[in-house]
Parts: sequence; structure tokens; C-alpha cells
Amino acid sequence: MKKVWLPLLMTGILCLIPYVGVQYGGLGYLFAIIIPCASLVILIAGFAIRMVNWLIRPVPFRIPTTCGQEKSLDWIRQDKLESPSRLSHVVGRVLGEVLFFRSLFRNTKAELYAGPKLVYGSTKWLWLGGMVFHWSLLVIVLRHSKFFFSTVPPFADFLDNADRFFDITLPAFYMTDALVLAAISFLVVRRLRDLKLRLISLPTDFFPLFLILAIVLAGMSMRYVTKINVLPVHDQILTLMDHSFILSGEIGVLFYVHLFLVCVLAIYFPFSKLMHAGGIFLSPTRNLCNNSREKRHSNPWNPDIKFKSYTEYEDAFRDKMKKAGLPVEKE
Amino acid sequence: MKITTREVVFGLLILVALVALRVFWPTVKAEKIPSPTVKVTAIDSTACIAPTEYMRSHHMQLLNEWRNTGARDNRPYVNAAGKKFQKSLDTCLGCHSNNTYFCISCHQYANAKPNCWNCHLSPLDKP
Repeated sequence: MKKVWLPLLMTGILCLIPYVGVQYGGLGYLFAIIIPCASLVILIAGFAIRMVNWLIRPVPFRIPTTCGQEKSLDWIRQDKLESPSRLSHVVGRVLGEVLFFRSLFRNTKAELYAGPKLVYGSTKWLWLGGMVFHWSLLVIVLRHSKFFFSTVPPFADFLDNADRFFDITLPAFYMTDALVLAAISFLVVRRLRDLKLRLISLPTDFFPLFLILAIVLAGMSMRYVTKINVLPVHDQILTLMDHSFILSGEIGVLFYVHLFLVCVLAIYFPFSKLMHAGGIFLSPTRNLCNNSREKRHSNPWNPDIKFKSYTEYEDAFRDKMKKAGLPVEKE
Repeated sequence: MKITTREVVFGLLILVALVALRVFWPTVKAEKIPSPTVKVTAIDSTACIAPTEYMRSHHMQLLNEWRNTGARDNRPYVNAAGKKFQKSLDTCLGCHSNNTYFCISCHQYANAKPNCWNCHLSPLDKP
């Protein structure tokens, strides 16, 4: 299983780079300031370039996938989410996709039984795993804003309190930490367990999972297990937020590992399948109105052809047609 | 109005029940347990339990361990240097209460919310 252990090995090497660099090379400035700033620039620029690249592509045809009643007569109720005809419907449809993965909720699994009999059944596990994974990551990222500001933004404070609701262990255990670990485990095991899925999985499917796993483990270790002093970290981030690029204090090496892996993720983002984060908003099967019947959509790259109606044709060739004995509509 | 025998017996039963309740009501006289005698050395505020760097990152671990074992196990905590400490928040505050903001200043800066003051009186609230 080269395609599994290769990304795993890569992640291990990526963990070692900042460890060796900071512990033995004294490259704190490189790993705390230069690489994070560079990766942020690459993330934003790369994301923007890919989005613009997608946005300027014309979408000539309406290709929404529909599975509901199209807008019709007034007394027939339209299924506004499944067959949208207005911008507001489309917004609802895309948001349903982005926030609740509606398409994935309809996920089915085909199984072949003796007979032969093909049976389709609903499988919601991937939907559940994906939901837990993405929502946990969102909460975790938003929670991190407490490191970036000297006063915590109210929403972050709320999320933080909700996340540590169970109030077990000291420092309080965040439930999203457990949830995200469970979800990553599920997503990795899912790709390994099923032979068909293992066959179509690529190293690039495993790498982001391993990378995020390593980030989560490093972060959790800093909080619960090996511990680092958080004050110099907070100092450093606040200095950076203040646009002064100075190395402010001695920070535990585990933080550099965590930060470097996040930077790798940020750099990797625009070049990889992770761009589905932006792409989901642009998927034409979801974000187009099913209104071909009420509005004409012409292909923007159609050549400008001069059409000639039959009447014009006859007007031009009437005499010749008469001579040849062809029937004409107007004498 | 005539009082039947049944009503008299019923009334008597209620009376007996009330008296019995009063007599057998559990009393809250707990056994007097002698307070644990821990030999605590005189406060020496020149050195903390562990080196400063360790305390900065791990103090919550130590406090948590003290909280969990302190009430059940009255043996003192022995640090790496062999010094003995009573497992109590007061041991810490013995030295560190000289600055009222000792805990709060860093926790507020780091946006950390310890749950110590859910039960214990915060140094800020002390008169």
C-alpha cells in the first residue's frame, strides 16, 4: 500500500523539518515568521487565482441537476430547492450544500447479492462523518481567534464555552477535539476498508487527512499532554497581528511543528482537492436556475451567423425558381 | 356529628406516625474526624515547587493532580528536590497571594479560563 504509507511518511518528514530546524538549527525566525507569512500569501493569492479562473469561464447551458417540480402553473407547487428558478432559491440550494451536505445525504450504496440481485440502500455514514469533520474543523479554526486578539471576539467566546461544555479535565477538554479525531479516523478507515474505495483512492486523498490529523495531534498535545507555555505564543501572534515581524520569545518546539504543518496545509490548499471549499460555490449543477423555459440562455461564444428566413430566400430567388418550375409561396 | 371508631383509629395512627417521625428522624450529627496533621515546613518563598519554566506550562497539571488526590490522600507532595508540600491551593497562595493579580493577569492575557474560582475564593474577591 505505497499510496497510504507514502503520504504518511511525508507527514512524518514534515513534522521533523521544523523540529530539527528550530531545535538544532536555530531557525526560529524562519519558521515563526517567514514561512507563515509566505504561506498566507500563497493561500490567499492561490485561492483567488483559482476562483477567478473558474469564475471567468462562461457557463453556456443550464445544467442544474433537478429532482423536484419545476416552476410551472400557479396552482402546481414548485420544489424551490430541488428545481430552483430564482436567485433566492439557488442561494438556499448552495447553502444547503455547503452547510449541510444535502447531496451527500442522498448517498446510496449498491450491493450485489446472489441471484444476481442488485440492491441499493441508503448510507448516511459518509454524510455524518463529513459533517462532523467539517463542522469540528470550523469550530476549531474559529476558536483559535482567541490567540489572535487581545480581547476575544464574542462569537469565539461563545464557541469556546460551548465547546468546553462538559468541563472535564484541566485545561477543559474541547469536545470538537474528540469529534475531529473520530471523524478523521472514520474517513481514513472508510478508504481502507472497502476494496473498491481503496482502489480509487489516491495518495492525494490520504495526504490531507494525515496532515490534518498531525495538526490536530500536535495541537492537542500542546494543550493536554506535553504542554507548552502559551504566553510567548500569544505574544508572538499579537506581534505579527500588529505587523511587526520580530521574534518575541522562546516558544516550545511543538508549537513550531503545529504551525509549520498548518503552513504546509495552507500552501497545499490552492493546488489540491481542498479547493472544493471554493469550488462548491461554483458547481453549475447546484448554482444555476432551472429556468430554460422562461428565459433564453444563449451561448456566449456562438459565432454571429446571419440567418436568412425562407421568405427572404424566396424573394431573392423567385424568378429563378419560377423558371425552374419550382413552387413558390408568393407569386 | 358523630365520630366513628374508624376515624379515631385513623387519627391515632397519624399521631403515632408523626411522633415516630419526630423520634426517628435522622440527626445530622457527623462523626468528628480528627483533622489530618501534616507537617508543613515553614514557608520558604525563595523557590517554587518546580522550576519557573515548568510551572508556567504545567501548573494546571499539578493543580489538577492536587485537587484529585488532595482530599483522599493526606500524604504531602514531594517535589524533585525532596521538599514536602501540603496539597492545597493555600500552599500556592501562601507565596503567590502577595500579588492579587498573580493568577488573573496571565489568564486574562492568554484568554484562559481556569475553573478554580468556581469553588475557591478568587484572590480578587478576597476582602
